[in-house]
Amino acid sequence: MISTKDLGEELAKISLDLAKRDNATYAELRLVNTRSEAVTVVNENPASEEAGTIGVGIRVLYNNLGWGFADTDELEHESIRETTKKALSLAKGASKLGIKVTRASEPVHVDKWETPVKKDPFRVPTETKYEYLQDTTKRMKENDVVARRGQMTFDYVEKYFANSEGSKIFQTLSYAGVSAIVAAKGPTGVQRRSIQQNTGGGYELVDEMDLPGQALEITKDVLALTRAPTINEGKSDIILSGDQVALQVHESCGHPIELDRVLGYEANFAGRSFLQPDQLGRLQYGSEHVNIVMDATLDHGNGLGTFGYDDEGVKAQRKYAVKNGKFVGYLMSRETAPRVGETRSNGCMRAEYYKLPIIRMTNVSLEPGTWDYDEMIEDTRDGYLMVTNYGWSIDQKRYNFQFNTEKGYRIKNGSIGEMVRGPTYAGITPEFWNSCDAIANKKSWVLWGTPNCGKGQPGQTMITGHGASPSRFRNIRVFGAS
Amino acid sequence: MSQKMEHQPVSLRERAHQIFTTAKSVAGKAEAEIILVSRVDEYLRFGNNELAQSQYSTSRNLSVRVASEKKQGRVTTGTLDNASIEKTVEKAISQARNSPEDPDYLPMPGPQKYRTVDRYSEKTVEAPAELKAGYIGSAIDQAKKNHLLASGVLGTSVEHVMMLNTSGLEASYRGSGGYFSLTMDADNGNQTGFALSTFGDIGELDPNKVSQIALERAKLNKSQADIAPGKFDIVVDPYAWSEMLLFFAVSASTGYSPDLGMRQYKEGRSYLSGRLGEKILGDNISIDDDVYHPNQAGPPFDGEGCQKSKVSLVENGVFRNVVSSRISQHRYGAAATGHELPLPNPLGELPTNLVIRGRGATKTPEELIGELDKGLLITRFWYVRETEPKTKIVTGMTRDGTFLVENGEIKRPVKNLRFNQSLLELFSKVDAVSEPVRNFSEFQQFRILQPGILARDFNFTSVSPF
Repeated sequence: MISTKDLGEELAKISLDLAKRDNATYAELRLVNTRSEAVTVVNENPASEEAGTIGVGIRVLYNNLGWGFADTDELEHESIRETTKKALSLAKGASKLGIKVTRASEPVHVDKWETPVKKDPFRVPTETKYEYLQDTTKRMKENDVVARRGQMTFDYVEKYFANSEGSKIFQTLSYAGVSAIVAAKGPTGVQRRSIQQNTGGGYELVDEMDLPGQALEITKDVLALTRAPTINEGKSDIILSGDQVALQVHESCGHPIELDRVLGYEANFAGRSFLQPDQLGRLQYGSEHVNIVMDATLDHGNGLGTFGYDDEGVKAQRKYAVKNGKFVGYLMSRETAPRVGETRSNGCMRAEYYKLPIIRMTNVSLEPGTWDYDEMIEDTRDGYLMVTNYGWSIDQKRYNFQFNTEKGYRIKNGSIGEMVRGPTYAGITPEFWNSCDAIANKKSWVLWGTPNCGKGQPGQTMITGHGASPSRFRNIRVFGAS
Repeated sequence: MSQKMEHQPVSLRERAHQIFTTAKSVAGKAEAEIILVSRVDEYLRFGNNELAQSQYSTSRNLSVRVASEKKQGRVTTGTLDNASIEKTVEKAISQARNSPEDPDYLPMPGPQKYRTVDRYSEKTVEAPAELKAGYIGSAIDQAKKNHLLASGVLGTSVEHVMMLNTSGLEASYRGSGGYFSLTMDADNGNQTGFALSTFGDIGELDPNKVSQIALERAKLNKSQADIAPGKFDIVVDPYAWSEMLLFFAVSASTGYSPDLGMRQYKEGRSYLSGRLGEKILGDNISIDDDVYHPNQAGPPFDGEGCQKSKVSLVENGVFRNVVSSRISQHRYGAAATGHELPLPNPLGELPTNLVIRGRGATKTPEELIGELDKGLLITRFWYVRETEPKTKIVTGMTRDGTFLVENGEIKRPVKNLRFNQSLLELFSKVDAVSEPVRNFSEFQQFRILQPGILARDFNFTSVSPF
């Protein structure tokens, strides 16, 4: 059977030659072959599904004015020619309503790249996966617990990319995800506790997360939450758990630094951004403690935004979005980089093969600070610790946000006290990040994963990484979810 | 180009039978089910007055379920040559063999009778990209003339589904549809207007009307006045809801899982568990799940091929029924209503075709505004998420035009507001409704027919800087 790489080379030659003959300014082809598995247990009910897809996405620029994209899962030569013609036809049509495209240059890459995997999940028997999840959900079984759910997912992706400039890149990408959710009913209604992590790599994540080991603790938590008080509305200092900080970074920094939305190409759905180009290097986005990087390299960690090359053949890079609190950089593509005076894209174009690549987050991470976590708690006189997201919402320019969390604790005189349910915080993005006065150090820093970031029309779902450690914010508006 | 599937050498039905013959022979004595889905989508996407992202997509997807001795597995593939199909079925057999027994397992259903639904529009299927580009070009011209930027998408989709199983079931469906979503804005979105139209038949689309609505709102929505948060009477445009109404049927408390199904209700997982017969909404509001409504979309059968029934979930404000399935019939003796998801499904049943309607005569959205003494007109909700499950409190924002209305007239635009509002309370304080329209949200597969409403005491809690 022909390998994905060999098939990619064969199909790319057909498509790129045809595009060249038809005077395309630029063309690229991606052949993507995926295998995935999801195993789930809800209460006593098991479910497992394996899926495989293979297909080609072809993107063409015509006359430097119009883009066209077409995809197919029929891989015969004639289909590839037809799909290339469709992309060309759309590009020619678009060129009548387009403006001149200037693209940042990128070196020609002939390379391969692979996600490091310690334990191949597809070699672990399904029975073993079920035993692990059933062990997890059985440990959650208590009176008043109404839903117990454990899940693991694995993805293996072979991706061949070639473009009309001569780049030929073959990547194998592997991702794993594990989660557990327990819900219980009580006097305060239904409460939820959950654990979730998604990273690059394989079954080693399942071993590291030890869901069965954590099941008893989150079950104890959720039962306590059904009787816990809510919190009063007011202003308070808050410390957010690392996973909550990760989502805060995703929503209030990751999205507004997407340059396509900044330039208005997402105005109808995902929205625009408050971070305009004239603020680059000027706006004090956060306090001096806040450093946020956009880093797709493996040195940053094996995250959902880690790869060798993006989906227009740009090599993975590390750049600052926020340096010492100042806004200094965007997530870019080859087409958008020149619009803010950059000579090179930082490699953020990502999509499934059947979607047109758009600018997506890679690993957008808050760098660790200097605080020991325990010392941060001890240093807090009066406030709340808020743990793990429940609900999240932010306006289309990424200013006004509100997050509620699954559980919290009152902090009094440097000690963690009473548990509270549904603690919620809200604010305006730059004010919030400027109120950050403490970030926990490397010991508490984790590269978290967001497996379901939505953007684009038709809707695209992307996986993104966010490193973060627990952080403290002063004088924030807080209230209870109910 | 059109989206007609003429290039296929055999019909989807013939292809499904060929695949099923292979699947049966590999599955041997085990039960087997196949679902074959073929899609063609064409989207012309534009931004900044440019036709920036045009996309043509074709896909075929085969999903195979194999079951034996109360164990089952599902494997999905996009590769449909014989060797791949055989391998897919072998994997499904292996999945089933290695799975624990499903305590809810039932033998696959036999032949079913289906009510006919007619959701395939030749006009939509044949619509060339040039026609859609013309509609977009006209919107861009309007925007340019008014110093605005047009952004949005005009997309059409065609879907064919075939389902077969070893108990003799055969189900098929084909449908088409699309939407035109348009924003006109300026000043980095500080001036903005939005309009949306959904259609089954592209002939229903009035692109000029969409352009005019977006343009008028953008012209009005400039230099927004400050406003203090608080409780306001509101008119919600029928296309404004975004994903908000989805939370009637999905619960974050159990991990964004489906709700209003019999299994969730009986197990206590539903936010409405134990509340059948209780008044949960206003007298004038009813909610059905009705795939047969002429403006609804999607197949008349569920994830295991059983015919869907119309179910009255809420009748005149009283919570009357949940949707059900063969599993619930077996577990609880409740009549199956055909709302199973593809099996194995540990999450429970889901109503996929909600119709939210008011009692009595409906009004036009303009008439709703005319009846508002003092309050706000919402043209678009945004980023709505559940914060509390018991009363379904959701939070979210307004965007693209929030207007102060006085004595039935739009007076001026105001800044965008955040709300924290119970859905159950909101639909207990509705004074009047418009005719429901088809929803569209990038985030949901739910097909909701949703009305515009005039309602009291909507709870806004903060304001955005723009």
